[in-house]
Amino acid sequence: MREAIPAHKPWFSASLWEWIFTTDHKKIGIMYGVTSTVFFIVAGLMALGMRLELFNPGAQYIKPETYNWFLTVHGAVILLWWAIGVWASFANFLIPLMIGARDVAFPRLNALGYWMFFAASVIALLTFIPGNHIMTMWTGYPPLASTEGIGFAGTTALFVFIWHLTGFASIAGAVNFLTTVISMRQPGIGFFNMNLFLHGIMAANVIQLLGVPSVAGAVTMLFLDTYLGTNFFNPDKGGDPVLYQNLFWFYSHPAVYVMVLPAFGVISEVVSAFARKPIFGYKSMAVAIWAIALVGFMVWTHHMFVSGIPDWVKILMSYTTLLIAVPTGIKIFNWVATLYKAAIQYRTPMLYALGAILMFLIGGLTGIPLGIPAFDIAVHDSYFVVGHFHYVLGMAVTLSAFAGFFYWWPKVTGKMYPEGLGKLSFWVILVGSNLLYFIQLIIGIWGMPRRYYDYPPIDSWITMHQLQTYGAFILAFGVLLAIIALIKGAISGEKAPDNPWMSNSLEWRLPSPPPPHNFDEPPKVEEDYCPHGYCKF
Amino acid sequence: MKWMLGFLLIVAVSFAGEAESQVLARPHDLWDIIYKIWLIISVVIYAVVAIPSLYFMVKYRFKPGEREIGDQEHEGHWGLEALWTIVPLIIVLYLATHGFALFTQMRKPPENAMELKVTAFAWGWMFQYPNGKMVIAQAIKDTDDKKCKPEECYGIDGVFQNYVYIPAGVPIKAVLTSQDVIHSFYVQPAGVTQDMVPGRTTYAWFQINKPGEYWVFCREYCGQWHSRMFAKLKVVPKEEFDKWLKGEVADTGHEGADFKTANIENNKAQEVVR
Ligand code: HEM
Ligand SMILES: [Cu+2]
Ligand SMILES: [Cu+2]
Repeated sequence: MREAIPAHKPWFSASLWEWIFTTDHKKIGIMYGVTSTVFFIVAGLMALGMRLELFNPGAQYIKPETYNWFLTVHGAVILLWWAIGVWASFANFLIPLMIGARDVAFPRLNALGYWMFFAASVIALLTFIPGNHIMTMWTGYPPLASTEGIGFAGTTALFVFIWHLTGFASIAGAVNFLTTVISMRQPGIGFFNMNLFLHGIMAANVIQLLGVPSVAGAVTMLFLDTYLGTNFFNPDKGGDPVLYQNLFWFYSHPAVYVMVLPAFGVISEVVSAFARKPIFGYKSMAVAIWAIALVGFMVWTHHMFVSGIPDWVKILMSYTTLLIAVPTGIKIFNWVATLYKAAIQYRTPMLYALGAILMFLIGGLTGIPLGIPAFDIAVHDSYFVVGHFHYVLGMAVTLSAFAGFFYWWPKVTGKMYPEGLGKLSFWVILVGSNLLYFIQLIIGIWGMPRRYYDYPPIDSWITMHQLQTYGAFILAFGVLLAIIALIKGAISGEKAPDNPWMSNSLEWRLPSPPPPHNFDEPPKVEEDYCPHGYCKF
Repeated sequence: MKWMLGFLLIVAVSFAGEAESQVLARPHDLWDIIYKIWLIISVVIYAVVAIPSLYFMVKYRFKPGEREIGDQEHEGHWGLEALWTIVPLIIVLYLATHGFALFTQMRKPPENAMELKVTAFAWGWMFQYPNGKMVIAQAIKDTDDKKCKPEECYGIDGVFQNYVYIPAGVPIKAVLTSQDVIHSFYVQPAGVTQDMVPGRTTYAWFQINKPGEYWVFCREYCGQWHSRMFAKLKVVPKEEFDKWLKGEVADTGHEGADFKTANIENNKAQEVVR
């Protein structure tokens, strides 16, 4: 009878002061979520701007440097704030609830991490001031990024600081999440009966710990080269621009698993809950996650197949790259097997999760040829690559994030979202995205290069670009509907029960929304606890 | 590591397809082999996953009173899980190995290849033929008071943009470098991309059999006018090419648009290629 205690204000109705100085993991999780979503929208709007410009060949509305600035911000922001940042939101909110803890292991470090992320956000906004635009692309390759006067790369320093600050936030988060999961689980929750979401988050954060230093080093050297005249990457003075690419991708390839492994976790949570059935092959699911994280560190040169590295390295990493398809395949087959003999309820989160699986499969299948140098040589840096990573990130990761939003919305806000609007948003997003992203694959096979502000007036290309732009606007409308559904739910939704989906997982045994200290006393977990079971209570 | 790869290569070559000679271009014909294999495998895999999923999605719907919870005992099956570990493993090992064999062929220029030195600069290329003849293909930029129309921006104006003549049916080894930032050299019909890195020399080889006009694009982001960094290849029969190389034909249709007038003084591309 927790409702009877009036002293419990819902934890989110706090003053601004409380928000700023909070060390509560739930509040910090919300702050991450809001920041990520705001930047997701900003990056999406910039993408719409790019799509408008590409509607016809020739210069339309914006200058090339403006396009390049939009694209740099779209890429950097959507990766660092959305595809990585949004999982910090889920991890913060959910980890303690799922393991029965009162907070994360280092609450103050956690708050510091968020404020570093916020500082990075301020820097990102500074790049909107004329004269401060960054046109380095999110990869910031030297010598373009480190040479003033050639090529118009903009203010490289801001690019570097964005990486430093988000990197700091990532490491603070990683230390915290890993320690929390390792040392604060309730007795009864072991590594092989905890939520798959926790496995996804842990693997992602191990990658962050090991990888971020590499990219931080790379951008630091980039900064020194640009402003203090060092020559790490300057070929005229014996430096090597390809070194940067190695250091950069040593993190930034594994980083795609930082984005996608938590998404896999969310899909597992949602699918098992709405299939009302334990996840099929739990152990192989968990092992697959860790296998992907491990092998993910041995494949980075597939981003450099045409950079001028030795051919034998390309072949070696081609094998390791394709090996990753195996654990990834296991996950997909296991999800499908989970649907067998299930009792599937088609609520909004389930639609998003199933959509994420079937779209991720396209992303994965188009990723395989990119790992084969003989294939990549024709499509490297083409729209085929753009289509591939939009299927993975723009669909699999983004749809999973929305699945997660709708799924845990009752727990976070204590209110139900409007079901009809939620489902509608899914279908609109699905149609728009496929129109946009599938055409990117086709036009990429035809040869359209990536990062182009303008393209030659080839008739078939023009048609394909126009269809993409229509797709982009349909997609944007779908995202708008989803956001409206969530906000409407939070404001005027029906009161949510504690466990609307009848999940067996620990977070659903708390009231919605959870009280400030989560568990008044340490929760007792049954001996055969299985978070992916159907709730027997 | 290398000997292991060598061993795999021997395995690989045994099933590498031999390409026909009457094809548009190489290595595009080799690429086409792996492309088609990949496409078929992908469509099959997609069907193998999507059809059962859709079937289960329809069949095992929640039905009040009838099917309210799923089968709680159905939690895994080691045989099935082993099956979908091993079959994909075989498929990817096959793909990687076949790709390896093709790639080896793609990277090995024939002995009789004509060497073409290409130097990239922001934003354009300088092509240098074996006899020293040079052609410049430079991006056409918009200025504040003048924007080009799409046909103009991607047309041949004969001053900055010149046709790059290539003999049909002759293998070309393009030796690539850059004098400022990283660019890339993508010959569209041949389906070959190679970065042009300052301080390094890289190469790509290709052969186009059918005369005609083709695109070359820059595919590594190189700043403001990256998107207009292109060149037009004019592939002509060998005899015609030889005549052009000796300077017996004007290199473009435009009057007075000789490559020598192509703004060579203030073009830094000159300094790099000796
Ligand atoms: C409104 C939806 C979206 C539209 C219209 C859109 C469109 C685009 C366009 C036009 C490009 C540039 C292609 C080029 O010129 O090379 C691009 C690049 C990119 N997009 Fe998106 N996109 C959308 C959503 C997303 C999402 C959700 C993600 C990831 C979660 C994403 C990740 C990226 C990345 C990483 C790049 C590459 C940036 C670079 O090349 O530096 N996009 N997108
Ligand atoms: Cu990668
Ligand atoms: Cu370029």
